Amino acid sequence: MTNDLIYNDLRLMTNINGMNIIEIRNLTKVYDAKTIPVYALNGVDLAFREGEFTCIVGPSGSGKTTMLNLVGGLDSPTGGEIVIDNTDITGLKSRMLIDFRLRNIGFVFQSFNLIPVLTAKENVEFIMQLQGVNKEQRDKRTLELLDSVGLSDKINVRPNKLSGGQQQRVAVARALASKPKFILADEPTANLDSKSAENLLEIMEILNREENITFIFSTHDPRVVAKARRVITLEDGKIVGDISKN
Amino acid sequence: MNDIRLAWRNIWRNKRRTLLTAASIFLAIFLALIVRSLQTGWFDHLISISIQSYTGHIQIHKKGYWDDRDINNSMPFNDSLTAVIKATNNVDKTVPRLEYFALSSYGKQTKAVMISGTNPVREDALTHLSRKVIKGRYLDSSGNGILVSQGLASFLDLTPGDTVVFLGQGYHGISAAGKFPVAGIIHIPSPQLDNQMIYMNLTTAQYFFNAQDRITSLSITLVNPDEINATVASLRSKIGGEKYEIMRWDEMMGEVMQALKAKIGGGKIIIAILYMIVGFGIFGTVVMMTTERTKEFGVMVSVGMQKTRLAFILVLEMIFIGLTGILSGVVTALPIMVYFHLYPIHLWGGMAQAFISFGIEPLMPLAIKPGFIISNIISVLIIVLLTCIYPIRKAFTLRIVESLHK
Repeated sequence: MTNDLIYNDLRLMTNINGMNIIEIRNLTKVYDAKTIPVYALNGVDLAFREGEFTCIVGPSGSGKTTMLNLVGGLDSPTGGEIVIDNTDITGLKSRMLIDFRLRNIGFVFQSFNLIPVLTAKENVEFIMQLQGVNKEQRDKRTLELLDSVGLSDKINVRPNKLSGGQQQRVAVARALASKPKFILADEPTANLDSKSAENLLEIMEILNREENITFIFSTHDPRVVAKARRVITLEDGKIVGDISKN
Repeated sequence: MNDIRLAWRNIWRNKRRTLLTAASIFLAIFLALIVRSLQTGWFDHLISISIQSYTGHIQIHKKGYWDDRDINNSMPFNDSLTAVIKATNNVDKTVPRLEYFALSSYGKQTKAVMISGTNPVREDALTHLSRKVIKGRYLDSSGNGILVSQGLASFLDLTPGDTVVFLGQGYHGISAAGKFPVAGIIHIPSPQLDNQMIYMNLTTAQYFFNAQDRITSLSITLVNPDEINATVASLRSKIGGEKYEIMRWDEMMGEVMQALKAKIGGGKIIIAILYMIVGFGIFGTVVMMTTERTKEFGVMVSVGMQKTRLAFILVLEMIFIGLTGILSGVVTALPIMVYFHLYPIHLWGGMAQAFISFGIEPLMPLAIKPGFIISNIISVLIIVLLTCIYPIRKAFTLRIVESLHK
């Protein structure tokens, strides 16, 4: 009950501020709707503002990954709306949705998911190439991004020659390459050792603080939670906590 | 990183599999080209021998002669007919012949023979008859000396300088009898012909058969054999299709052509089966390549790659594997084809005997024709493209969330 009150207050605050880049309204995702319905998300209302460093926490099966998938346009909801920068992405056709993701959303996956045949530089450049950025600009930005994640000496190395932490840093650089409105990171530290995880979090925190890049994580990792300035707790597909820290 | 480079790198992620798939395509195209080259080479060799040794590209006879090869079905041959034919576009050489059977006799031996009266110079230009002389000399333009085929000469125990007696029936039933000196002995590859052929001057034969100014056939060779149908049509319109039968070489070799087509058809079926087996091999590779990279496809589409572009890259990958196999197959097969085209395989043993028994020199030249090379390349490419349906479908029906959990 207390959590609900806090959540409602916070939601009201974000709406009042009017700087939301993501607005989620009555979002529902039901699996096996025709047989035994399982509510992965059940009428979620939520908003994210520009420059947030937010993590979504909750036990396994609470709906964290489902939430990120829906916000990222990787999956379609059973009901509700997801408005990103005045566009309801639930109504977009497949081609338009892919293009929307390319231009607005960055992804960092739990298992890095770099393209194995491409070097670190090419992995980062790949996104800009999809966007149609010219080579000169691509080269410049790729080197800047790899430098910002501390991998300027690994530009021509393929993922299989990089450590897990290095791969995840390339993944962050790749996510930033398209100049997205926000980055969705699904348990980004889950496959990293503690040192690499600390290092990655530090990089993301700096990017958030200095370049105002919005990060939304789903995580079980207390280190991520500790760094986050807003923590949203999900349970059984519902928001049961939404706390902002100073 | 453009799509071509990405596709090229992707196929070498599993070198062994790519090489095995390319090798199966290589083997298929290599075998297909060699088999087709052998078949076509043999086919062309046979046709060429037939055209050069007897038929020419086209023959003109009196209507009905081909079905009833009687001297009474001979036709008048004069300068005006020659002039009309010579003036026809694409006509190269002409050889008039008067051919009919007679009985030959020397010493105590007699044998039925085929007498071919011909123009020695023109005959030599078409069939290189003079090259077949193994004893004595070739025909004179005017003399009444004759050429006797080796088998017949052996049977009659003839040598150059001997005189042979012929007895037969001439034009309109008139008795034909004469004696002729043997100018030379010739060897004809076909045993059947080698046991019965006599060549003599056309005028000598016309006199013997009492068929002055008549011939039974006029063989024509063409400048461009590919335009044979147009030339036949032109000849029909000029000399009249109702009086003469104007036949193409393939019409004159109807049964042989059918047998050859059946052989080639059989070869094509074997190649089709080979391609089908290779097709399944390629499909197996496609399925593996697609299945093991489903998660990667999910990532690519997640970060903003359109499914059409993903499908295009997958098709490119298969085309690269296909082209690697095709090009290596063609590059390996071509020098072999060129070598054995220039230096035909000399057959030996039973196979050589079988060729000889059909009147064919026991040679097996390989043909080089862009047609069958291109058609085989296209066939393999079509198979490769057909196998691409699977990854294209996979790309377009990709469920991102599910693929990311693979």
